[in-house]
Amino acid sequence: MFNRVSWAMVVCALFTGAATAQAQEKYPGKPIRLVAPFAPGGGADTVARLIGPQIHEAWGQPVIVDNRGGGGGTIGAGIVVNAPPDGYTLILVNRSYGANAALHQLPYDTVTGIQPIILIGETGLIVTMHPTSPIRSIREFVDAARIASGKYNFGSAGTGGLGHLAGELFKLEAKVNLTHVPYKGTGPVMGALLAAEVHTSFSSMVPAIPHIKSGRLRAIGITPPRRSRTLPDVPSISETIPGFDVVHWYGIWGPKALPQPIVTRWNREVARILKTDAMQKWFANEGMEPAGGLPEQFYNRIKSDTEKWKRVVREAKIPVAG
Amino acid sequence: METLTHIFNGFAVCLQPINLWYTFIGVFMGTIIGVLPGIGPSAGIALLIPVTFGMNPTSALIMMCGIYYGTKYGGSTTAILIRTPGEAASVMTSIDGYEMARKGRAGAALAVSAIGSFIAGTLGVIGLTIFAVPLASMALKFGPAEYFTLMLFAMTAVSTLTGKSPAKGVLATILGLMIATIGIDLQSGQARFTMGVAEFQDGVGFVVVVVGLFAVAEVFRGLEDIYKGTSAQAMKISGSLWLTKEEWLRSIGPIWRGGVIGFIIGVLPGAGGTIASIMSYTTEKRLSKNPDEFGKGAIEGVAGPEAANNSDTAGAMVPLLTLGIPGGGATAVLMGAFIMYGIQPGPLLFQNRPDLVWGLIDSMYIGNVMLLILNLPLIGIFVQLLKIPSGILYPLIIAISVIGAYAINGSMTDLYLILIFGVIGYVFDKVDIPVAPLVLSLVLGGMMEQSFRQAMTISGGSPKIFFSSAITMTLVVMSVISVLMPFILPKLKKYKEDGKDE
Repeated sequence: MFNRVSWAMVVCALFTGAATAQAQEKYPGKPIRLVAPFAPGGGADTVARLIGPQIHEAWGQPVIVDNRGGGGGTIGAGIVVNAPPDGYTLILVNRSYGANAALHQLPYDTVTGIQPIILIGETGLIVTMHPTSPIRSIREFVDAARIASGKYNFGSAGTGGLGHLAGELFKLEAKVNLTHVPYKGTGPVMGALLAAEVHTSFSSMVPAIPHIKSGRLRAIGITPPRRSRTLPDVPSISETIPGFDVVHWYGIWGPKALPQPIVTRWNREVARILKTDAMQKWFANEGMEPAGGLPEQFYNRIKSDTEKWKRVVREAKIPVAG
Repeated sequence: METLTHIFNGFAVCLQPINLWYTFIGVFMGTIIGVLPGIGPSAGIALLIPVTFGMNPTSALIMMCGIYYGTKYGGSTTAILIRTPGEAASVMTSIDGYEMARKGRAGAALAVSAIGSFIAGTLGVIGLTIFAVPLASMALKFGPAEYFTLMLFAMTAVSTLTGKSPAKGVLATILGLMIATIGIDLQSGQARFTMGVAEFQDGVGFVVVVVGLFAVAEVFRGLEDIYKGTSAQAMKISGSLWLTKEEWLRSIGPIWRGGVIGFIIGVLPGAGGTIASIMSYTTEKRLSKNPDEFGKGAIEGVAGPEAANNSDTAGAMVPLLTLGIPGGGATAVLMGAFIMYGIQPGPLLFQNRPDLVWGLIDSMYIGNVMLLILNLPLIGIFVQLLKIPSGILYPLIIAISVIGAYAINGSMTDLYLILIFGVIGYVFDKVDIPVAPLVLSLVLGGMMEQSFRQAMTISGGSPKIFFSSAITMTLVVMSVISVLMPFILPKLKKYKEDGKDE
């Protein structure tokens, strides 16, 4: 027996269902602009260019990747924050977005001022030492760095980058003092590690793997809270320092008032694309774990990253750019 | 012996029709990308990566590398014809190459670029074939202290670029160093001289500065000529399109030296083709019997730098393939492509995938031959461009410059910048301040400062690090000699002449 409330619910469901169907019929009615807030060739750009054509194939409208580099990704993000929330302007960002609010003064809230759509994939950084170093584990590194305060240094691909922030977080959590040596880009850091110019570095996993396998570098820990499938023998730093968690990720978001049906449609479509063989192979080669999941999961990642990096930037006294 | 077998097997790989075809596509696209300012090899390769996903990795990488070295051939074309460096490393060519074109020798300038590029490019690939593995350790010996002393040595060459008035040269040098400091400081993360403009956080782009200083300024000068009624209707083309015997003899030395300089600089990750071509230019000017001709259309000033920026690409493949260390933007994108295909550049690559490595290296020999064949007949067509009346040519230069500058970041700020630097270039020309020292200090300044501070951080503040290795010591001594040369040389000459008189 239906009572009034149930009837009302059914009617509501029908209406929303109809509304959703209508929105789905209309959208997308023209090409979609997917902003990549970095120069062509970076990770975020490549992911956007891999996903774009598959959306085109599925929905019949081209996805145009628009590279808007500069300001550490804040220029591209600013464009999308201020874009009309019609689903025709979205952005594909990487983990640097989670640190934007900590490193830059921005006229919008990076957590509540946007509409998260989907987290694409996650990976971690790896801590390596030169094989001539006596240090073999995170525990030994912490002990050595406590005795020789400030004598140990770590290289990074640039101030404010994930490798730098991870190192600063490590200093805070492990209560050690390390000297930061920034290089320009990931290539030079790898060279510095191999030449024993710096003691260690929190660097991208995939480029380090061949050096670890050939014995030119020794891996002592990875930054995500769980061990990686690619290097199961390397412990997570959190096994020594509980709660340590630094993750490199990619995700898509749009302007704040984006209609829910469009969010849901993008979320489902990208989640489907992530499961295709081509994307699975790409994830494996890049050492990434595919993510997917609901927009809320991506929201939580941005929120926790933003809070973490704000604290690190404040306590490590990293300058904030205008 | 085993290596020799691998080299031959590599030819078997790259001579497959499909790979020959992709080599051709790569070098052809590279030439076009090189001609357009702003769109450099990094962007060109990056846009291709997703398209090639799913292709055979060997073919895809052969094509992407083709783009990389192909751009160096194309970059000189616009530099010579319309004073617009099509690629950052062609900046020196837009000085003497364009002056040659104004004298009616555009054909010769284009020919010497293509031939010099071919000889040096092939020389570089030979170096890559023979020395790739032993040279890997050399790349690692260059740390911040070594880079700083190398930049110091390169910086001392500024005196050869200053022209008549040392004070004006110093002014240009300092302006270049000042521009190099704009942006977020790599060491401290502090924003410097950004004036609150977010676009300045990444610094002022090199291509933006040189397109303004060279191309836009040239248009302003041309407008003045038109206004005064002194402009030549179109540039004259005198003599044959080919090199004269004298021009050829003057070019051989610079090509070989440029090739060697380019390869060595290329092996060092972090230096790059622009520094290689500047070092070749200053070397040639120093060695030349008539250094006054430089800046006024000396063929050595085209042959050397163009050779250097080509062998640089082969040199840059050394650390990329053997260590997995990309030296610059384009090689970093190539590295991304390798990883995307599940191939790890680095120590194990030569053991695990000799077919791919040697197929790739051998394809570079073939690609260079293709580029020569492709570029030589184009000279005749490109030279026709000069017959365009200035009323059409100048808007064309502006259009190419604006599109090129906008293509880098899609930023309006860059367009305002090319205008500002165009005005600066025009004013500099009016008051006879040389532009070359500004370009040199802009390229070297940033790296010099950062490597100095990196070295000081590593050493805990002790300057002893700059005297700690044989490399740094040698470079410091060479820098001192280079600074003292202009003072000692005239006295030595005088001393010799006095001796003769007695």
